[in-house]
Amino acid sequence: MSQYKIIFTGPVGAGKTTAISSISDVPPIKTDAAATDMTKSRKASTTVAMDYGIMNLAGGEKLHLYGTPGQERFDFMWDILTTGGIGLILLLDNTRADPFQDMRFFLETFDKFIANTSVAIGVTQMDLSKKPTIDDYHIQLQGTGLKAPIFAVDARVKSDVSLLIQALLYSLDPGIEE
Amino acid sequence: MNKSKKPLKVALHAMDDRSSKLMKMYLQGPCEGIAVVANDRDAECDIFDADSANAKKLIDARLAMNTHRPIIALSLQERKEETIFYIKKPVKIDDMLAALDKAKSIVEAQTSAVAKPEKKVPEQPLPASVETKKPVPLPQLQATPTPQAQKKTNLDTDEQKKTSKHQAAMQLNEKSFGAFIGNVPGIDVNDPQQFAKANYNPKDYFQGYVESAFKVCEAKGQIRQLNVGWNPLIMFPHSHEIWFDVDDKQLRAFAGLALSNNRDIKISITPLDPNSSTLVRALDKFHAIDAFVWKLACWASKGRYPAALDINSPVYLKRWPNFTRLLVTPHAMRIAALLVQGPRTMSNVAQALNIKPQYVFVFISAAYALGLVGQAKRKADALVLPPEIQPNKKQGLLSRIIQKLRGN
Repeated sequence: MSQYKIIFTGPVGAGKTTAISSISDVPPIKTDAAATDMTKSRKASTTVAMDYGIMNLAGGEKLHLYGTPGQERFDFMWDILTTGGIGLILLLDNTRADPFQDMRFFLETFDKFIANTSVAIGVTQMDLSKKPTIDDYHIQLQGTGLKAPIFAVDARVKSDVSLLIQALLYSLDPGIEE
Repeated sequence: MNKSKKPLKVALHAMDDRSSKLMKMYLQGPCEGIAVVANDRDAECDIFDADSANAKKLIDARLAMNTHRPIIALSLQERKEETIFYIKKPVKIDDMLAALDKAKSIVEAQTSAVAKPEKKVPEQPLPASVETKKPVPLPQLQATPTPQAQKKTNLDTDEQKKTSKHQAAMQLNEKSFGAFIGNVPGIDVNDPQQFAKANYNPKDYFQGYVESAFKVCEAKGQIRQLNVGWNPLIMFPHSHEIWFDVDDKQLRAFAGLALSNNRDIKISITPLDPNSSTLVRALDKFHAIDAFVWKLACWASKGRYPAALDINSPVYLKRWPNFTRLLVTPHAMRIAALLVQGPRTMSNVAQALNIKPQYVFVFISAAYALGLVGQAKRKADALVLPPEIQPNKKQGLLSRIIQKLRGN
């Protein structure tokens, strides 16, 4: 049976773990990975986690939900993770100092994967920080040539995460019947 | 392991935003909340990244303060020092828990020594001549900003309480749609022969009055009240919010009435003093203006399209609506996905998606109200039939995922 997966990415603390937990049929599994990064400003790392959840589909198929480690030094894993993926969910934290920079970084990093599939963007923590607005994100996105869905998302709320994934899937094929 | 359940308050030093956030999550998750990150003033223990460029200076400064707060340092090198608990990177959970446990024991020992003096001295009023020593504020370390510092400082706690604004959208299915949206007697909006008259003018409905009044508020930069002979609707142009205490059932009925034909309903708008006590309102009745107008447009349209649009000319969607905070009508996401790709006539959208035209009209009405729909002016857009939708190779799988997400 084929392995199908959706990739969740975004900066640390954007809500990837929570979003996967919201829709996974099993408690998410965290894979601890230890790493050091002595090349960048002599900054060392602590243990990081890659999240993993499953959605059981009709007919016994499984959809695997992978959350990328938020740290850039793990980008070697991102290629492996995205191979065979259906699409990308990018979560951004609106309370971060420069969420547009985060958006650009992740869109550029995953540009090949997005070009072959699609991306949907969820902005979290909007109840804590109203700005930038969703409109502001769309304006920033214009330069990229992408017309991706961008939604305000509370990663704890299943329907928010569900709508974001639905938008991703309809972007791939509006013909999917409801 | 220490038995006290009260988490140890730790301050993080010499860590960038990313490392601080990671450490915060690490303490919450793998370390099971034995410690929580606090600001420097409230902290009981300090954790340093000993490999950062200024770590030595910061640790020395902290030691010089003689605060007796335990210090934990994370280092790539194996180091030992009496006054500091060193943990070798990459940090292992057991090492971190052990260090935090030791730190906690020290803090608790210090606290109990202060709380339980050997001899209890009866409380006496201080003589007036005795100078009370003011606590000397601890100098702030010039450390890399903590996550709080890196984050925005203007977080709005009231915003969290405006629950109506941040609620998940309601999704409608086709079965409940007809009753929910209503209909116009004498018009079958799904009959292509009747498309020409299946439109409505938003200005005749509450939708139009709210849109118009809000534009005035924005132009004047004033908070204003819309009086509709019912509950007052207060408009806050700077925050793009309205305050309205009414349930959806009442609002739906009112939104569907053609007010322009009703002489009994008088609508007026009055300015409000920004300092007025009348503006102190229940936070859960605040609504985002976009979500409110979107809803009004759905109910005013009753399955029709806005009269300002030409049914025979293609329309396009400027961007995706923020569906998680809007009323999601049947097939709305499919329509959005198709129309962001390029212009199509409304009837072509219905044909391409194999859905009733009323679903397209309702979506177009709501999106048009938010300024998200444009009518294609270029001749080329109407010249050739838009391409058919190319089914994705994994359409069956995608469909099963959608069914799962919708709980079917």
